[in-house]
Amino acid sequence: MTSAANSLRLCLRTSNQITSRLRTVQRRQVPLARRALSTSQARWVAKEKGKDDEDSEPPELKYYSSFNDPGEALRNRLKDETLSEDDRATITGMLEEWQLLPQQKKGDAERLKRDINNEMSDLRRIINPKRDAFWNDSDEKDTDLITDEFGEDDFEEDDMLSMSHGKLEEHREAREYARITVWEMPLLSQFAKSFQPPAKEDCLRFRYTTYMGELHPADRKVVVEFCPKDVPGLSEAQQLKLKKLAGPRYNPEKDIVKMSCERFEHQAQNKRYLGDTVSKMIETAKDPTDMFEDIPLDTRHHTFKVKLKYPKEWYINTKRREELEALRKQSLLLDEQRRATGGLIDGVSIIKKNLLAAVEPEPVMELRGGPRSGKMRR
Amino acid sequence: MSASNCLRCCLLRPSVVGRAGATAATAKASAAATARLRQGMPLAAAAAASFSTTANRGANQKPKPGTKAAERNAPPSIRQGKLFTIKKKKKNDSGARVKSPLPGERKAFRKRILLSNTNALPVPGLTDLGAESMLDPSNVCKVLSLPDDVVDQLRADEAFKTTQCWSMFRKPSILIRTETVDLITRMHAAAKTNKTLRLVLTGDRVTGKSLMLLQAITQAHLNDWLVVNIPDAQELTTACTEYAPILDTEPIQYMQQNYVLKLIQAIKKSNEKLLLKLTTVFSHAGLPQNIPIKSPLMQLANSAKEAEGAWAVFQAMWQEMTAQGHGRPPMLLSLDGLTHIMRISDYRTPAFNPIHSHDLALVRLFTDHLSGATSLPNGGAVIAATNRNNAPRNPSMELALAQREAEQLGGGKDVPQPQPYLKGYDERVEAVLRNVQVIKLQGLSKLEARALMEYWAASGVLRITVDEKSVTEKWALGGSGVVGEMERASLLTMRF
Repeated sequence: MTSAANSLRLCLRTSNQITSRLRTVQRRQVPLARRALSTSQARWVAKEKGKDDEDSEPPELKYYSSFNDPGEALRNRLKDETLSEDDRATITGMLEEWQLLPQQKKGDAERLKRDINNEMSDLRRIINPKRDAFWNDSDEKDTDLITDEFGEDDFEEDDMLSMSHGKLEEHREAREYARITVWEMPLLSQFAKSFQPPAKEDCLRFRYTTYMGELHPADRKVVVEFCPKDVPGLSEAQQLKLKKLAGPRYNPEKDIVKMSCERFEHQAQNKRYLGDTVSKMIETAKDPTDMFEDIPLDTRHHTFKVKLKYPKEWYINTKRREELEALRKQSLLLDEQRRATGGLIDGVSIIKKNLLAAVEPEPVMELRGGPRSGKMRR
Repeated sequence: MSASNCLRCCLLRPSVVGRAGATAATAKASAAATARLRQGMPLAAAAAASFSTTANRGANQKPKPGTKAAERNAPPSIRQGKLFTIKKKKKNDSGARVKSPLPGERKAFRKRILLSNTNALPVPGLTDLGAESMLDPSNVCKVLSLPDDVVDQLRADEAFKTTQCWSMFRKPSILIRTETVDLITRMHAAAKTNKTLRLVLTGDRVTGKSLMLLQAITQAHLNDWLVVNIPDAQELTTACTEYAPILDTEPIQYMQQNYVLKLIQAIKKSNEKLLLKLTTVFSHAGLPQNIPIKSPLMQLANSAKEAEGAWAVFQAMWQEMTAQGHGRPPMLLSLDGLTHIMRISDYRTPAFNPIHSHDLALVRLFTDHLSGATSLPNGGAVIAATNRNNAPRNPSMELALAQREAEQLGGGKDVPQPQPYLKGYDERVEAVLRNVQVIKLQGLSKLEARALMEYWAASGVLRITVDEKSVTEKWALGGSGVVGEMERASLLTMRF
């Protein structure tokens, strides 16, 4: 316990306020409340008059002054009335020890303290923020500054070209997927479930959309389809009412009601909503108070597609071929008969014959009375 | 360049060269002038040398400055700029004066019906229709010609249409179809039992509805029926003829006096023989002339001389023609273009509300008879033909006709039902067509098509041999024997 460092340690330990102070001392900035645009100089807040004498020196400075040597610090410590008896006895003992120390050792302690102070002065320094800094941070490098670009992108002949890097990346990617295929995909078969065809009661067919884990606005959408006939426990009239309730969601050609929901954020919520709606519709359809008998089923929203089919009778098969052959033969025969009896009418020959018969000498225009003038007048 | 400097003018203009009198002399003079020109003589001297007694004036002389002529000839000043002048249109230079057609001439040309063409060959063995020919099923697939007096009557009835190809043949003739025999048999059966046949002829475009109506009218004329034909119902409802409300009618009805006057004249012309024979049995008040009882109906018809009072005369005539128990013949009331009277007309009430076609008195007369609300006491037929080409949209009529057709085929479930949410159904139309017979015309059979084509070939308008092959070809081209389409494919095309 004779070394100066030891006594210093003791001093530091006993003086709680100082140690805590030392621990918390860091580089810190003095926050300066600045207005955006101000012409007046920034000043410290004016101190109150009554407090001026007491607060002229911050309380820690008292301890600084007592630090001139450990004896002084110990003496100072003894002035404190709140000290317990044990502490007081210890401090008194230590003070006596200090006084017994030779002068040279005392000088050592002083030097040590000075060194520490020197070391810590940097920490205690108050740093004013840079006025130009963007984040009020002195360490910040200003990235807005344009760097000296010359030669930055120059190729130094020490690397592959970017296309080669791309190609390499492709290879890496392919190999990654190959690894997945070989090592991880086979493990998926653990999760395979055998297909269970829907039971007769499961009349609702839900459809979900997944984008393979990608975020997509449509991945929450759920579609439900059902046939009113399949809904268990519905009479004919109730089925009709259900169709009327479904409105334009009913497809009369397929006899299917199709509804979708993407109102909520999650798929499950949407599915729940659809399920609730369908059960509400079925409930309403079963309600006998108003069966909508006065309202005809509206199918205006649906355009019926007429699928024209090639008539079965026209299919060319052996039977039909024979029929056609017989028809043709018959018509040929009919024509031949007519030709033989002279009943076949040929438009071309009739016209020719009539034209020949019509050739007669053209009537010559005769002059009646004597010529009036020698020449025809125009 | 002034006239005197123009060599050509100098040579040819008689005023410059001189009036030689005869053309020969002029030629000589001009030859002399050219000779002088070749020798290099001055032009002024040449002009002076001709035999002229008149002063040399006009083009050679400069106008005095300050006169109007000088102003006219002066070049436009620079300040004036370029003037825009509209040239006068030159009148026809050819000398032939073109006369613009008189009012109504164009329409007459458009509506003109040629029933004979002397360039067409007379068809050998073509016989006229008799009173019973269209009843005989053995006449199906035959072409028979219309007798001349009936042609006149049909012309008066305006039963011939401009779209029909009458002008290609020597004599108007018609093909007897199975539907013809069906229709005529029904007409006869109705007339025999003093009942009214109420029938609508329908079918696709150019399937021969109007021609079927013509056949019915022909049959009526051949059997001395009274015929009242409304040739084009469009004229009644498209607001192209004048109308006036009839007093004391509730709901108010409208008469179309101009049209009725025309109709009376048509009736007069087509039923001339009958009207002369029949005499009035009622006394009519409020007519333009006093018509005593037992005067011929023709006299009553003649009393309609102006549009004013025509409706009263028509009502009196109708009363006389349908008088029961006075030996009146059966009557045919026919109308072409049923679609046009089964809708709201283009006429308006004084309050500018649209008038339903059935509130027009003449249309109402027809629809009452068609619906069976009133019947013809002496028997007869009320026949209407629909029109397809120029037809307004008419869902009620389409539906009613389809329903009647389905009912006739005896289909209980196949009867089409009205669409619950379709707009535009008309109850009054449904009421009229609730209980009518329908004949739907379709394509000709191959035998009918052959008969028709043989008639065409024999008339010299079809330059092909009519055998099964060509018949089938045209039949198929005509959409399974739609007669108008066949006509279009074989007669109205330049390619044979």
